[in-house]
Amino acid sequence: MASIVVHGLTKRYGKLTAVNQIAMEVESGEIFGMLGPNGAGKTTTVEILVGLRKADAGEIKVLGFDPAADSSRLKRSIGVQLQMPMLFPRLTVEESLRLDASFYPDPFSVDQVLEWIGLKEQRKVLTCKLSGGQLQRLALGTAIISNGQILFLDEPTTGLDPQARHNVWDVLQKLQSMGKTIFLTTHYMEEAQHLCDRVAIIDHGSIIAMGTPNQLIGDHFAEKAIELSAIGNCSEAVMQELPGVTRIQAADNQITLYSTNVEATIRALIQLEAEQQLTVTALAIRKATLEDVFLKLTGRSIRQ
Amino acid sequence: MRVFGNLVAATLKDMARDKMTIFWFILFPVLFMFLFGMIFSREDTVNFNLGVVVEKPDGFSQMFLANLEQVDMLTLHYGTLDDELDALGRQKRNAVLVLPPVQFGSNEEITIPVYYDAANQANRVLVVMLSEIFTNVERVMQNRARLFVVDAKPVQAEGLRDVDYILPGIMSMALMQLGLFGSIRLVYLREKRVLRSLGATPLPRAHIVFSEIIIRLLMAALQTSLILLIGHFVFNVKILGSWWQVLGTVFFGAAVFVSIGYMLVTFAKTEESGHGIIQVVQFPMMFLSGIFFPMDFIPAFLKPVVRAIPLTYLGDLLRAVTIGSPYAFGLATDLLVLSGWLIVSLVLAIRFWRWE
Repeated sequence: MASIVVHGLTKRYGKLTAVNQIAMEVESGEIFGMLGPNGAGKTTTVEILVGLRKADAGEIKVLGFDPAADSSRLKRSIGVQLQMPMLFPRLTVEESLRLDASFYPDPFSVDQVLEWIGLKEQRKVLTCKLSGGQLQRLALGTAIISNGQILFLDEPTTGLDPQARHNVWDVLQKLQSMGKTIFLTTHYMEEAQHLCDRVAIIDHGSIIAMGTPNQLIGDHFAEKAIELSAIGNCSEAVMQELPGVTRIQAADNQITLYSTNVEATIRALIQLEAEQQLTVTALAIRKATLEDVFLKLTGRSIRQ
Repeated sequence: MRVFGNLVAATLKDMARDKMTIFWFILFPVLFMFLFGMIFSREDTVNFNLGVVVEKPDGFSQMFLANLEQVDMLTLHYGTLDDELDALGRQKRNAVLVLPPVQFGSNEEITIPVYYDAANQANRVLVVMLSEIFTNVERVMQNRARLFVVDAKPVQAEGLRDVDYILPGIMSMALMQLGLFGSIRLVYLREKRVLRSLGATPLPRAHIVFSEIIIRLLMAALQTSLILLIGHFVFNVKILGSWWQVLGTVFFGAAVFVSIGYMLVTFAKTEESGHGIIQVVQFPMMFLSGIFFPMDFIPAFLKPVVRAIPLTYLGDLLRAVTIGSPYAFGLATDLLVLSGWLIVSLVLAIRFWRWE
């Protein structure tokens, strides 16, 4: 059963079309990721889905509710974490969670959530004294404590260190195993790849690809990626002609060759080196990732 | 209702832990009451330092000075003319009186020089007082009977002192500042995205504003109670109204200024601009409302402004309710004008407030 059904969702700010004709269905119990660079329209989409903004066009059903018309009933059944969240500055971590819990009909216990977000030791600390990462985790906690059927998380791990990020992934997977649906946005490729059952890649307000991470990679890359740092006067055109190479991405001395025949490509590279056309200083072979998919679809890296 | 209660408790904690809130809304009015109370209750016991130069002690000077010693308001200092004039120059004396030798029986007019510091208006009163004493002495010496006797009758049993007027003035000021400056918090919560985060929860937005207002009213009650207690127990101000009249007026006044505050901050995009707008409004209002000095001091061309601003009427209402001074405009007018401000501000605030 679909928890979220969206057709033709469009939002304009003046002349700028922030979200353009988005369509998607999110199944109950899945972790669905919206992946895209800053300004792609992710936040606007989330805010419309939870009833904080009105769409200019499109049909939206979240848990069967129209978020624009029925936001008060919808908000009781979902948990939301917005970007750059702020809470009352002079409440403690525990008090903030307790306050948020009191808004919902059947919340998780404060202790349980403190455990999940790893702020047990900070429970008596005022929120204005928390570090950015701690505040981010507390905001995640205020979303989780709702015990809502769907959690909407706008960039839940931005600003967290890798350790904390992995902890958040663990918690979200635990919540999924409890039957929660999770809709999150991210600009971290590995997060989408590791955590999400399905991913929608969004750029300039439009969804340009959607599927499981493996599907997306498989659809776009039968090849593996050879990343190398090289010095020399060998042109891109020469590399493009190497055996097995289908595509090439180059920036400064960083070159990525996508190859259907890694062995043949590398042998040719060694040959080039022998002919002193270039010197390879570093080389790595890896499977293609969502990053590569994004690069192929948009011609840009997501971090740019 | 449970949700609302939780929100009120949380908001109260959030505010009470802010030292600035406590200072400006509780401590500041209390300090003000102490300060103004001390300044204005001192004036209650008028005292003049009178330098006395006796050129040559004789029967007259003895008799006259014996009379003078009886006057409570005077502290006498005896010395030579030079010393006393020097003291007058250093403002240690209000006036210096020179007593020449007096020959009884001679019909010559006797001149009594009185030097005084004309910079201080009150000193003229001292001069008049001294001539009054001489007239009295003269009458006794000439054995004339009194023709007129002034019978001073204070209208109020106790008589209202300056410090009595100051008390309702400070209450009015405190209520105005609480209402106006307190409303900036909502702009702050909006700027800091707290309103936005709360907006994503099932909490109705109106709850946020109502909890803010309830806490303002509680703070108003606390703040004005402290002022009343200090006024009553430290400065002996007699509170004539019943506690429910006073409390009702306090809540009403707080509500009026909370509404005006919310109306004003609809023009503010940031906390800072909110402060600017409120400052521009409250500062002139404080001085033009006559809460600290009588409206007679305000020039005529400003009178229409005085008659328009709400603080004038809250001051009038509180003066009547607390110390029993007569209404300057009448109870009905006070209530009507304040209600008008309350309703208009509320409508404008709701109309123009932006949650984002």
